[in-house]
Amino acid sequence: MTAVKKVSKKSFFASPLYDFLSPFRPVGNQYYAEYVIVIFALVIRCAVGLGSFSGESTGPIRGDFEAQRHWMEITTSIPVSQWYWYDLQYWGLDYPPLTAYHSYFFGKLGSLLDPHWFALGTSRGLETPDLKSYMRFTVILSEVALYIPGVIYFTKWFGIKRKQSPIGTYIAAAAILFQPSLILIDHGHFQYNSVMLGLTVYAINNLLDGFYGPAAMCFVLSICFKQMALYYSPIFFAYLLSKSLFSPSFNIPRFISVALSTVIAFSVLFAPLYVFGGVKNVLQSVHRIFPFARGIFEDKVANFWCVSNVFFKYAENFTQAELQKFSMYATAAGFIPSFTVMFFYPKKHLLPFTLGACSMAFFLFSFQVHEKSILVPLLPITLLYCSSDWNVLSMVSWINNVALFTLWPLLKKDGLSLQYGVMMILSNWLIGNFSFCTPRFLPRFLTPGPSVSDVSESYRRRSLLPNSILWKLIIVASYVAMAIIHVLDMFVEAPQRLPDLWVLMNCGLGFSCFGLFWLWNNYKLLTMRNTSFADF
Amino acid sequence: MTKTAKKPGGESSPARNGPKFSLWNFWVSATLLKLLLIPGYYSTDFDVHRNWLAITNKLPLKEWYFEDTSMWTLDYPPFFAFFEWILSLFVPKFVRKDGCLDIVKVGDFGLPTVIFQRGTVIFSEILLFAVLQIYINKSSLSERSANFVVASSIVLSPGFLIIDHIHFQYNGFLFSILIAAILAAKHQRYLFCGFFFATALCFKHIFLYLAPSFFAFLLRVYVLNFSNFKFKSYYDLISIVQWKNLFKLGGVVLAVFTVSFAPFISQWPQVVTRLFPFSRGLTHAYWAPNFWAIYTLLDKILTLLFLKVPYVHRLLTQIIAPPLIPATIEEIKWKLQQYNVGTKGLVQDVYFVILPQIQPKLTFLLTLFYQILAVIPVLFSPSFKRFVGSLTLCGFASFLFGWHVHEKAIMLVIIPFSFLVISDRRLLTPFRLVVSAGYVSLFPLLHGSADFLLKLLYTLVWSIIYFLALRQVTKMSSSVRRRVFFFDRFALFYIIMLLPMVIGVQMLDALKWRYEILQKYEFAGLMIYSIYCSIGTLSSWVGLSWLYNFDEPLWE
Repeated sequence: MTAVKKVSKKSFFASPLYDFLSPFRPVGNQYYAEYVIVIFALVIRCAVGLGSFSGESTGPIRGDFEAQRHWMEITTSIPVSQWYWYDLQYWGLDYPPLTAYHSYFFGKLGSLLDPHWFALGTSRGLETPDLKSYMRFTVILSEVALYIPGVIYFTKWFGIKRKQSPIGTYIAAAAILFQPSLILIDHGHFQYNSVMLGLTVYAINNLLDGFYGPAAMCFVLSICFKQMALYYSPIFFAYLLSKSLFSPSFNIPRFISVALSTVIAFSVLFAPLYVFGGVKNVLQSVHRIFPFARGIFEDKVANFWCVSNVFFKYAENFTQAELQKFSMYATAAGFIPSFTVMFFYPKKHLLPFTLGACSMAFFLFSFQVHEKSILVPLLPITLLYCSSDWNVLSMVSWINNVALFTLWPLLKKDGLSLQYGVMMILSNWLIGNFSFCTPRFLPRFLTPGPSVSDVSESYRRRSLLPNSILWKLIIVASYVAMAIIHVLDMFVEAPQRLPDLWVLMNCGLGFSCFGLFWLWNNYKLLTMRNTSFADF
Repeated sequence: MTKTAKKPGGESSPARNGPKFSLWNFWVSATLLKLLLIPGYYSTDFDVHRNWLAITNKLPLKEWYFEDTSMWTLDYPPFFAFFEWILSLFVPKFVRKDGCLDIVKVGDFGLPTVIFQRGTVIFSEILLFAVLQIYINKSSLSERSANFVVASSIVLSPGFLIIDHIHFQYNGFLFSILIAAILAAKHQRYLFCGFFFATALCFKHIFLYLAPSFFAFLLRVYVLNFSNFKFKSYYDLISIVQWKNLFKLGGVVLAVFTVSFAPFISQWPQVVTRLFPFSRGLTHAYWAPNFWAIYTLLDKILTLLFLKVPYVHRLLTQIIAPPLIPATIEEIKWKLQQYNVGTKGLVQDVYFVILPQIQPKLTFLLTLFYQILAVIPVLFSPSFKRFVGSLTLCGFASFLFGWHVHEKAIMLVIIPFSFLVISDRRLLTPFRLVVSAGYVSLFPLLHGSADFLLKLLYTLVWSIIYFLALRQVTKMSSSVRRRVFFFDRFALFYIIMLLPMVIGVQMLDALKWRYEILQKYEFAGLMIYSIYCSIGTLSSWVGLSWLYNFDEPLWE
């Protein structure tokens, strides 16, 4: 056990995060560490929020910011029966009901401050500074309420279970909270992904604690906030089913509690739609939530369909229905391995791995995927920062960088290039990925060193790269490719015939990296299926 | 599984070396945060500095202090003008095209100019990190961790973040010169001390407020020598002056001033009127949290009281002779009409209805009086601690009683105080009071709603970290006298109540449109800020003065 303790302390040993948090090691100070990392995480979110949001002062249609504001406008102003019917051409509501209730709540709250912000009709395209601040504030509040406590609880649970020092768990928590993609999409681009992800983390936490009914309920809430959470559903299904069926024998009360809480959560969430609009309203909402009429992928995204579309034009050769079928088969084939492992080996420490593999399969192969959907597989993968396995940490850090890279075209469009660059550097630097390039040419008295921690001055932290030479090569090569694509994107005009060449290259690289990671993840599951928590 | 992956390297040596206490990590993280602030709000000071860039770049030197196309005329001393000129040499072409260097009435510029100017602030602030790193490296091992806490508290100060990186100024850079002077004094390099302070003065003349303390300290430790002094006749006084040292120090200081002001010698009067504009009002548009804020509030309360309860007025006129307070209620009403005070916070000049008017001369005398009080102990016994104490008190005196004080001037108090606070735990209470009240009083500088959460959270987390860290590194009280616990608890309560105050004022501001009474008292929020914060700064000053004047063992 002592060996485990020693190693786990070293997951982020000598990284700047370790350095910053080491003054909080004495027992009397530990209490503060949590607040300090949370507040700093919030400060960074506020600072990112100073940048522009999607569709700021552009055209009549604008972007996600306007969509969210518009939903606050319609949910507060028109009856429930009309929510999913109102002016569908202009950002019609197409998220599940919990999003609508969330919008209703913040719309009402905002109207107390200024009724013009969400006045029906007249407020379209409103972009006053105060409105922007308020909207940014609602994202931060949602995240503080759901995502952040969820993540901290998760890291603490893992830390206690692995007899890690409290500071070690806080470092892991900080590494997770400084994940750049979620910050940039939620607080820069503008969305409420942290609500969905936070609810999923709550579901995972409940599974860890063995509260199966509440776990199912949290997961249903998550799905009912954003249908993207369905990417996780096979795993939750497998885990809950397996725990009910063979633990060690058929556990009827557990089975019933899970089934009941699922049904109850769904019915409570859809009840208002039914009460105020009948079955038709519920069906309309479902129809709005699953837009199968749209293409197999949207914009440019680093998944299988978009990338292979370059070589083989699906839309010209197949009908929509056929494509739906293909994507369904492909997705099913993709998640079956992780599903099987979870079903036969329902172990707690496998949860993040299986969730990652399963949702990554959805991202790579399912229908109608956005580039932002990468946040869904990224959540369980990022939670693996709790791991003490150097290889796992390296893969997590790599895939976080790849994911951020695939978001570049979107963030560039939003005018968030600066925030993108800063967050990429910050998140990597904090976990110690830049230790190899700390400048040594500075005058002696300015030479960088650890500020507070007891790490020796000459100690150089290894960058997060796996031990295997093959993976090292792959990862370094992918970083070089990213750099090249960035340079091309910045300085070279794309050829006339292929105006989207750089974006496609971005997607291609992203897809290959995600694919490789997914394979690795499945392999990892295969090898880890018989391990116990202590080995993790 | 792969436990062998971790290098077991770092464990053995740290016990030998101890931490290095490098500010490097703080610099990287702070700089990244500051980069994120680039697209945020900036005040008119941004255009002021842009205009100075343009003036120094486009015009010959002799016109710098005469140019007045824009209302933001050059009113900093020559070194700062030179500094702007050097910066202007590095303006790239695309920033030039953006209108960065145009001498116009109101600046017309875009993002490139913002990026360039914000970049210069971030870049010039490196000096602050370098100076403080030297401060850490030069300190003895026993006090190194305490000094590290001080240094990092200064580089991460919410004051610099708010004033420099959001509001826009170059304080981080300017204060690094002042800190260099303090550092030189600490290490008994008095010539350097004089040199750096003179340089700092030629960059920003607000440091003049600290001059008495520097003057007295250098005079006492470097120029005068009382060791063999025996008074027989007045001729002996000559022998206590170390003439060689006097000439060396005088030479250094004068050389700095010559380099700085010599090019402008022919336009001397113009430079002076630019540097010292006495035409401004007693208080700034938003009252700095000082004595005059409370004075103004008292005047308003008395006005209200006299108008509502005339009996009080009648009673008072029995005791106080009429010229000091208005003789009749009619006179009060007439004055009210005349000055049109009430709630208009933006009048350039403040008039008092009941209380006597304040003349610049009076504020000057008050400031000088308290500064002399602060300086006298240094003349008697010039220890470094006492010197820093007197610096802090000089800063306090000018901040609390000065004419047209900006809230930003609180940094003149906080920075010297930071070097002092680690020496005794009893200083912690006044320090906490002044930093929390001082930093919170900077909040109204950023009046937009976008920065609200940022400034609040950053100041909050800074306070959590450094209140904790300073408590751990400060030495236990050297004096046997017990602390007044009541005062400590009360201060803590005051500091915690700052939080609801800030949020409450923000809510008042957000709900202004809804209630007419809030519109009528539009500046109530700012008033609450300055009154509440002035209570903190004043009590901090009282607390520090008490310890400074009556607690002898602390200062040796």
